[in-house]
Amino acid sequence: MHWTVSRLQLLRTAKGLLVVWSSTVIRLYHSRAPVHEVFNTRTKWLQKERAASRLEESRTADYLKDEVAIRLCERLLDIKRSYPRVLDVGANSCNVARALTAPNPDSDPNMPESDPLVTKIKHLTAAESSETMLYRDVEEPFNQQINMTREVLASQETLPYGANTFDLVLSSLSLHWINDLPGMLSQINNILKPDCAFMGAMFGGDTLFELRTSLQLAEQERRGGISPHVSPLADTRDCGGLLQRAGFKMVGVDVDDIIVDYPDSFALMQDLQAMGESNAVLGREMGAIQRDVLLAADAIYRELHGNEDGTVPATFRMIYMIGWKESEDQAQPLPRGSGQINLKDVLESK
Amino acid sequence: MPARTRPIQKFAAAASQCSPEAAVYGRCIVADYNSVHKDKCVAEFMKLKDCYLKASKKK
Repeated sequence: MHWTVSRLQLLRTAKGLLVVWSSTVIRLYHSRAPVHEVFNTRTKWLQKERAASRLEESRTADYLKDEVAIRLCERLLDIKRSYPRVLDVGANSCNVARALTAPNPDSDPNMPESDPLVTKIKHLTAAESSETMLYRDVEEPFNQQINMTREVLASQETLPYGANTFDLVLSSLSLHWINDLPGMLSQINNILKPDCAFMGAMFGGDTLFELRTSLQLAEQERRGGISPHVSPLADTRDCGGLLQRAGFKMVGVDVDDIIVDYPDSFALMQDLQAMGESNAVLGREMGAIQRDVLLAADAIYRELHGNEDGTVPATFRMIYMIGWKESEDQAQPLPRGSGQINLKDVLESK
Repeated sequence: MPARTRPIQKFAAAASQCSPEAAVYGRCIVADYNSVHKDKCVAEFMKLKDCYLKASKKK
């Protein structure tokens, strides 16, 4: 089936551009599995550009991205290493760079105050496809505290770096807009040096389920059918498999729910827009949501999910991932059944 | 400088004045949300919409 499709595509190209029908070309098309397109990448790029150009709103709506970047970077405290070259994939407004320069990342009063994480990092490359978003905070003071380069990517799906380039790859709240997530993870694995880590955070699972269900019910009742308003998102249990498929070792995945209360569902939608996180699903209905549907959805949101004080909650489920590129001298898990100590004895003697 | 009011903000302000009507409509949907069909709660919605239209004209 796929073979026929590739042939057709080739013929169509050949007609216009007189591409020579060589076996190399065929293999080029044939070796890759078809990528399932879910998101309109141009729409997403435009949304980010527009969001970032409204400076004040964009900065106010950065609370979620800043929080997640901080939670992601905190995890670096657990790894006793320093990193000559670090890449931030899908940097947004460089929230990760800001988190890395935060004065005391470990705010536990029982522990000695730790240095900002930036002391572990020699150079950070912040890569992002939306230029306005990337350069939004270029004048902010944190830029002086970190040795970083901003790079505008031609496409958010392709990383223009050579193999074995980076000592650490971070990604905060961008991967959920990638069409080819398995391909992206493979690229990340490729550009990492051996035995180096990738750490990422993205929206997943039940993120915005309140908004999704309210809009669905409202559209069903007002118009008799539904159109996608909230992206399909990766499930927590898929992420481990995806990382393993991309060749990562010692994979870890965990989730963290952030629930934000809003005065009404319109405030939530406005903030999502200001974050550049509005709907960019392919095949969605173009234009704004009908006012009737909005009015109905707000009423349903309140009734179904609303808090007692009149606010409405919105759940953001973060999926944090860590995976290590394979290396020969890496710590390996022992074979199954090779354990010498019975865990039951240890736990019972306590 | 007064902040620019966006259409969605006007919309939200008018809608917020109709919480009793919204609650009635919401309860009608949520009462049996597994079998929602077109115009299931049309009477309740029209009351909500009337209220919203009145509220949006007041200013």
